[in-house]
Formats: sequence, C-alpha cells, structure tokens
Amino acid sequence: MTDETIYRHMQDEGVSRRDFLKMCGLVVGAMGMTKMPPLDASGLPASLNKVDKSTLNHVAEAMETKPRIPVIWLEFQDCTGCSEALTRANAPTLSNLVLNTLTIEHHEALSAAAGFQVEEAKQQAMKKYAGQYVLVVEGSIPTGEFAAYCSVGGRSAEEILKEAAAGAAAVIAVGSCASYGGLPAADPNPTQAVGVMDLIKDKPVVNIPGCPAIPEATVGVITHFAIFGTLPELDELHRPKTFYGTTVHDRCLRRPFYEAGKFALSFDDEGAKQGWCLYKLGCKGPTTHNSCATIRWDSGLSFPIQSNHPCLGCSEPNFWDGGGFYQGQSTPLEKPTLGTVGAAGAAGLAIGAGMAAAAKAKKEK
Amino acid sequence: MDWNATLEFARGPFFNFALIFFIAGMLYRIANVVFLGWNKDFAKPRASKGNGVVKSYLRGGLILPFFPREKKAFVNNPITFLAGGLFHLSLFVIIFLGAAHMLAWKSLLGFGWWTLPLPIVDFMAAVGIISMVALIINRFNHPVLKRLSGPAEFVNWLLVFLPMLTGYMMTHHMFFEYKVLFSLHMLSIDVLLIWLPLSRISHFVFYFFSRTIHGVEWGKRGAMP
Amino acid sequence: MTDKTMDVFVKKTGGWAASQLEACTRCGLCAEACPYYLATGNPDYTPIWKVELLSRAYQQRFTLVGKVKTALGFNKPITDEEIKDWSMIDFNACSMCGKCAAVCPMGIEIPKLIGTVRAGVNAAGYAPEGLKSKAKAQDEFGSPNGDTVDAYKEWFASAKEKVGIDVPVDVKGAEILVVFTNLEISTKKSNLYDLAKILEAAGISWTTSLEARDAFNMGKIIGDGKLKKKLLMRIYNAAVELGVKKVLVTECGHGFVALRDDLPEVVGKALPFEVIHIAGLLPDLIAEGKIKVQAGKFANGKTYTFHDSCKIQRTGGYFEEPRDALKILVGESNLKDMASNREEGLCCGGGGGLRAIPEAKDNRMAAFKLKLHELEEVKADVVVSTCDNCQLQIKDGLNFYEVEDVEVKGLIEMVADALIV
Repeated sequence: MTDETIYRHMQDEGVSRRDFLKMCGLVVGAMGMTKMPPLDASGLPASLNKVDKSTLNHVAEAMETKPRIPVIWLEFQDCTGCSEALTRANAPTLSNLVLNTLTIEHHEALSAAAGFQVEEAKQQAMKKYAGQYVLVVEGSIPTGEFAAYCSVGGRSAEEILKEAAAGAAAVIAVGSCASYGGLPAADPNPTQAVGVMDLIKDKPVVNIPGCPAIPEATVGVITHFAIFGTLPELDELHRPKTFYGTTVHDRCLRRPFYEAGKFALSFDDEGAKQGWCLYKLGCKGPTTHNSCATIRWDSGLSFPIQSNHPCLGCSEPNFWDGGGFYQGQSTPLEKPTLGTVGAAGAAGLAIGAGMAAAAKAKKEK
Repeated sequence: MDWNATLEFARGPFFNFALIFFIAGMLYRIANVVFLGWNKDFAKPRASKGNGVVKSYLRGGLILPFFPREKKAFVNNPITFLAGGLFHLSLFVIIFLGAAHMLAWKSLLGFGWWTLPLPIVDFMAAVGIISMVALIINRFNHPVLKRLSGPAEFVNWLLVFLPMLTGYMMTHHMFFEYKVLFSLHMLSIDVLLIWLPLSRISHFVFYFFSRTIHGVEWGKRGAMP
Repeated sequence: MTDKTMDVFVKKTGGWAASQLEACTRCGLCAEACPYYLATGNPDYTPIWKVELLSRAYQQRFTLVGKVKTALGFNKPITDEEIKDWSMIDFNACSMCGKCAAVCPMGIEIPKLIGTVRAGVNAAGYAPEGLKSKAKAQDEFGSPNGDTVDAYKEWFASAKEKVGIDVPVDVKGAEILVVFTNLEISTKKSNLYDLAKILEAAGISWTTSLEARDAFNMGKIIGDGKLKKKLLMRIYNAAVELGVKKVLVTECGHGFVALRDDLPEVVGKALPFEVIHIAGLLPDLIAEGKIKVQAGKFANGKTYTFHDSCKIQRTGGYFEEPRDALKILVGESNLKDMASNREEGLCCGGGGGLRAIPEAKDNRMAAFKLKLHELEEVKADVVVSTCDNCQLQIKDGLNFYEVEDVEVKGLIEMVADALIV
C-alpha cells in the first residue's frame, strides 16, 4: 500500500485545503451519509470514533489519515457507457478524485498505453497491491463454451476476472451488464453472459446497476471504500441502499399526477405536454430502484421521465426481457394467442357439451 | 429465492397457462349447463317477461347489496348485505378502474379506458379487504353460514383475499420488496384463475343465468312490479 | 331406495335447474327470508340447504369437478338416512312460499328446486305419512279428504235450496269453468253459494264439472309426477270437452299455479283456455262494472289487512287487484298493509302441505307467530285472504295463540255480502 494519504496526494497535485474540504462535502453529499458507518472494521484511528463530529469532519479526517487505495478497472462485454458517464459526472472534482487521485492503476479505455504494455502494468499493479486493491468491473462475462466470445490478450474474460478478483479487497460491478448480465444476456443470451456476482462468490461484490450506472453512485461507493475501507450498506441484490433504497416512482417529480389519476396517454397528447404521469405509457418507475429522480443526470439537469419518456427500468434485473417498454408493467409478459384461446375454448366447450349430452341421454333413458 | 425469475414466471408462462385454463374451464362450465336441455315454456305469460328481466337485474345488480327491499333480511344479516355489497363494488372498481389493472386489460383486449385516481382506488381496496375480513368472521360465526360452508368456501375466500392483500401491500410497498409482492400478487392471481372454473366463484357467469331465469319467472307471473 | 331418488334428481335436472344450482354462492341470505328458519333458528331450514341433496347429486352425476370430488371422497353418495333427514326439512319445514327467491341476490328459484328434492324423497318412499295417505286418497277418490263425486253432486245441488240458484254442471259452451277445492267442500261450503250469486249477478255463463271438481293437487305437493299429471289432465280434459274459454280456480293456490304454469308443460303445448283466479276475476268484475257492490259496506271502524298468499300473490301475481276491490269494500283508509307485503309477503306458515303433516305442527305454529306479530303491528281486526288454505291456517294459529279479536275473511264472501243485485 502506498504510504501517502489521499490528502497528501492531493496536496502534491496542487489542491488547496479549501478545495479539499469542498470535495469532502461533495463526498458526504454523494454518499448521502447522514451518519457514519461503523468504524471498527475500517482500520481508521479510534480518535475518529466520536459522536459529536459531523460526517463532513469524519470524511475530511479520514482522507487526511487514510492511505489511498488503488483501483483496477476491467471491461468485458460492455459499451464503455458507464465509464463515459463517469467522466461526465455531476461533480468534476469527484470524478477527478476517482479517476486521478485514487489511482486507477489500470483502465483499458482511459489508459494511454496499449497492448502488452498495459497488460504488463496491470499484472504489476495486481502483484504490488495484492489483497488491497478495489476491482471495478464493467460489462458482463460470457461463460461456458461461449467464454471465448470476450477475450483480451488471448485470455477469456472469465479467466481474467477470476485472476483479478483473487487479489482484490472488494469487487464493484458497475452497470447493469456487470451486475446482472445486462443487454448481452438478453434472451436468447447467445454468449451465456452473466454478471459478476454469479461468478465471484468469495469476495464482497457491490452492484451499481443502471444503463449506464449513475456516476455519482459509482463514485460514492468507490470513495466510501477508499475512505472507510468498508463497503456501504447493501440490499439483497448487493446494491448500496443509499442509492437504491427507494424507487424512481417514490421520488418522481410527476408522482402527484399519478396520485391524482392524471396520465399522458400518448407522447403527443395534452397530458404529455402538461407533464402528466407516464405510467400508462409503460413507465417502470414503481418497480425500479434507483436515484435517477433525485440525483438526475448531466449535473442534475434532467432524467428520462423529466424529459417526457417513461422509465425503462434499466437498473432492474432482466429489464431487457421484462415486456414492452411502452406497455405498463402490470401487463402480462405472455398472453395467449387467439389460436390457443380458440383451441382451448373449443376443447372446453366440447367437453362441457359432451358431458351435458351424455347426462341428457342418461336422463331420457 | 430468485424473485425475478418467479415474477417472470408468474407474469409470463404461468399467467398464460392460467388464463387459457380459465377460459377453457369457464366455457366448459357454461356448455355443461347450456347443453343439458331446457324445457320449452308453453305457459301463457300474465305479464311481460322482458320487464321482469330488467327489474330482476335492477334489483339484484344495483339495489339489493345496499338497499335491500326485504328489510328484515337486512336487519338479521347486515354483514352479508353490507360487506358483500361493498366487497363486490370495490372489486369492480379496482379491477376495471385501477390504472394498473386497466393496462393489463388493455394489453389483453387491445383497448383501454378511463381510470380513477389512485387514492380512490386505494380506498376502495381497503374497503374491499375490510369487507372480506368481516365476511369471513361472519362465515365462522353465523349459524346458517356455518351450516352451508364446506372447505371449498374457505379456499374460495383465501384465493380471492390473497390477490387483494398482496395488491394492497404492493401499492404501499409494505414489509417486502415490490417485486416480491408483485410476484406473490401475480402468483395468487394465476392460482385464482385456475381455481375459478373449479369453484363457486364462477357465480359471476351463472349470476346472469339465475337472474334472467328469476326475471322471466317472476315477470311472466306479473309478480315483479 | 337411493337409486330412485337419484333417478328423479337426474331426470329433473336440466339446464334450468343446473344453472341455478351452479349460481349459489352460499351467502346464506335465503335463510333470512324463510319463516321456518326465522321462527326456529335452525340452520338446517336454510332454503338452499334444503336443496343440498339435489346439488350433491348434480355434482356427482353431471360435473367433472364433482366426479373428482366424489372419487376423492369429498362428495359422498346419498344415503337413505340423508333422504329421511331431508324429508324432515323439505316437507316439515317448507311451505314452498318462495320468499327466499325474492331475497336471493342471485335470484335462484329455490322453491322449484325444493320441489324436485321433494319428488326425490317421495320416490324413495320417505315422504311424510300424512301426505302419503292424502295423496293415496286423492288418487283413489279424486279428493284428498275422500270426498267422492256424489258429495260434490250433493253440494252443487244444495245451492238451489240455499240461494236459489241452479248450479250448472257440465254445461258445454259455457264461458267459465269453475274448479273448487276439497277444502271448500269440507270447511267452507258457502263459497259455492257466494260465487254463484256473484257470477249470476255478473251475467256470466259458467259451469262446474264433476270430472274437474277439485283443483287440489297432491301430486304437486308431494312431488309425485304421475299423480300430478293425472289430476291436471282431469281438469284439462273436462275444460277441453266443455269448450270453455276460461278455467276459474276459486281459492286453491297451488292448484291454480299447477294449472296455469305446470299444465302447459305437462301437455306440451299452450293451453286452449285461460287459467284465472278469483283474486283477479272479482276485482275485474267490480272494476268493469259487471257487478255492483256497496262501496264502504265494511267500513265499520275496523282495520283490515290483506294477507299475501305465496301461490296466488307472490307466484300468481295478483297483488293489486284484490287490494283495489278491498279499498272499495272497506274504505281506503281502513286497509293497511303489513310490514311484509306483496312479493315479500310473509307466509302464513301452513302452505306446501304442512297442514296435512301432524308432526309439522310445531313448525307451522312457530312460523305463524311471525305472521301474528305482523298482524298485531298493524293492529288488524280483520285479515282478508284469497286462499282457503291460508284462511284455515290463520284461524288455526289464532286459536293456538288464543287471539280472539282478529277475524279471518275470504274475498268471495265479502264481495257476495256487498253485492247489489
């Protein structure tokens, strides 16, 4: 582990004390921390464990004392959208923090080097920081006989992941693909793609689903681990509760229209122009756990529903196979065709009529 | 438990099967009765049968649950009248005028309609659930209902109650995750769909038989003023 | 014996019965209409429970679910013991009054289904002895009390002496054939004289028939199809032979319904004559001015109430006609309706053959108590009925409960009394 602390590193980079504290505030805000996580497991000095301190002070002190943590970022069957989103995050200082300050030792897309050089650098970093680094994964992993569909440097994604995960302190799956398999796993799942948690069972895995993942969430989780050495509180799908504790519907700015029963019925009707609820246009907000409605995108500019488009539910498992995007989520996924209904109905009628005829015959006997 | 897979199963193939089974089963039930043979009625009607049928539906459909003509029957068993009537009203409001249910109908039928605001539907759901609880308590206590009830009556109650309860919990995100409740809601509906043609809940079809017969019989006698 | 019962059930269950058996939701509201349940609180008397045997038979023989249930042992075969039990509730605690059908949310015609159960019970030989002996007597002599043709002849002839009218017997081409009941010949002979006066005053051509002398139909009451058909055909043949336009039933309730609604089914075609009841005819005659009555003849400060009989009013549909006539006779303000009236009218408690079953007396009197309560509610001095059976039951009941200040009258005698010739 590097000896220098995060603050020390930032000082070297020319960050002033004032900017450092501002950044600490952003971290607190991004992680939605109203109270500190338990410090015992974090390896932080016991002096921090004081109740009267604000969380901001905690974060600042942690950053001043805690050694910085290296990050290794792997990409498999992905579109680099999550990385792209991260570089356009709400708070430039924050992404800067993650991308530069926290030392991303290895990121294929962002790396200046290429080919064997970059592979070499990754192997070195893994060796150097064995057992300490955070492994971030973007994209799903093909498995079984289809493992070769995603290979880097002649080795399959599965192999690379398992190798990298072996030395990681924690694994963070960024985006729906890395979390649940994502679009590559959509029916019929031609590469038998799976998410990270399906392969890595012996390390703590955090899922930050979304297509792309909300960069603030990504940053928040990485920063949390970097600062406290622990993962934030997770739900049963390994999602940080801070960002995935409520549904889009819960915090939606159009929620009052839902309650009032005012719905847009097509994309160009008066209701759509008035900004009414998009539920009847297939919005999946009520079942989608994410912070789109609160954090929003592009520096808090907007999110799909605000931009007059129903939520697709992109951060939920299997959203890609969960029925039509513009059909309500209450609609059945499969429905009988007229043919099957006709055949089954005819069978029912025939049995009924047959039994009735038999009974009638018996009656008249 | 993999709730996503459960939900997909409950909304997908299981629902599909249940719906087909339901349609085939109900058609079987209807055919089984219709083709049993009907005696032709040669009796000269004293008054209009049509008038009787119209009045029969007006009385049975609209008035009876809340404003029983027979006041003594109401006084003796108000729970069945009130809770029964409210339950059916809430059922129709929820199934046909709740936005989520209308969308399900729309995807099945190809056309949709106007829906009620959530708070009203939600209130009706609560009314329906409370009514059902009142009805089951009544069924356990009332001597006549005890006499008439077999195991099937309690299964009927349970299978109708579960979708209502899970649906209500789901809209309020109570106790469990949304998709868990959604899965349970869909599963209970699927089971209900399969149970319907096997049980007396199918009275929603035979209601129209017996009400029409009642209207014809009483109408032709002139006993339906 | 159960085979015979099952045969009857299977034969009588068509779409009409099956669709209604399927419609029952077990809500139990029918019980709240049943005078016998209300009077005794015995849940076995719930109207739809009286049909349970038929319902079980239907499921066992006609439906897939029922067959599966039977195979699994949930639906047990009907036993002799059960048939005996159901005999107790279907005969001894049901007057087939049909109020349950008015209360049923599904509108199930429960009395007719009970009729089928009665037929099944009777086929097994478990009908009450009182009814069986009356049925046998009617099969043999033509009248349940054993009144023979000669008794009727004598009765018809006695009108000459009493009111000076030659009662026409078997006159071809008359407009109306009047069919009396054995209750009148045994307990209320005056009905003949009163009716003769009215019909003569109205100038209607009428006749009686020695063949069609009694509308009473034990076959219908006990559920014996053959006997019912035999008794109905007696009247049908006589009416056709005499070529009458109308058959007038005097006071018999079930006999009237059997003629009007069941006979067409028995002969399989529409009737060549109309079946009417004095509850409709007398008011019509008054309204059309064919007879003149003294308005307010009975307006003597007493309170009158009209008893709605199950067969004539609820089943027959004559709600307003007799009331209209009564309003003229007693004065509108003196006629008060009881709490349960018209199609919801409360049964007197003695219909459906109950008066012929000695063991049913407790039930009969318990049910009448409800009626008595309603009578007392309106402070009725006189209760008027168009049904002889109801009148007898009400008199029985009044005696039983030692109520002396209530009088029972028939509509015929009142009209005859008020007649202006």
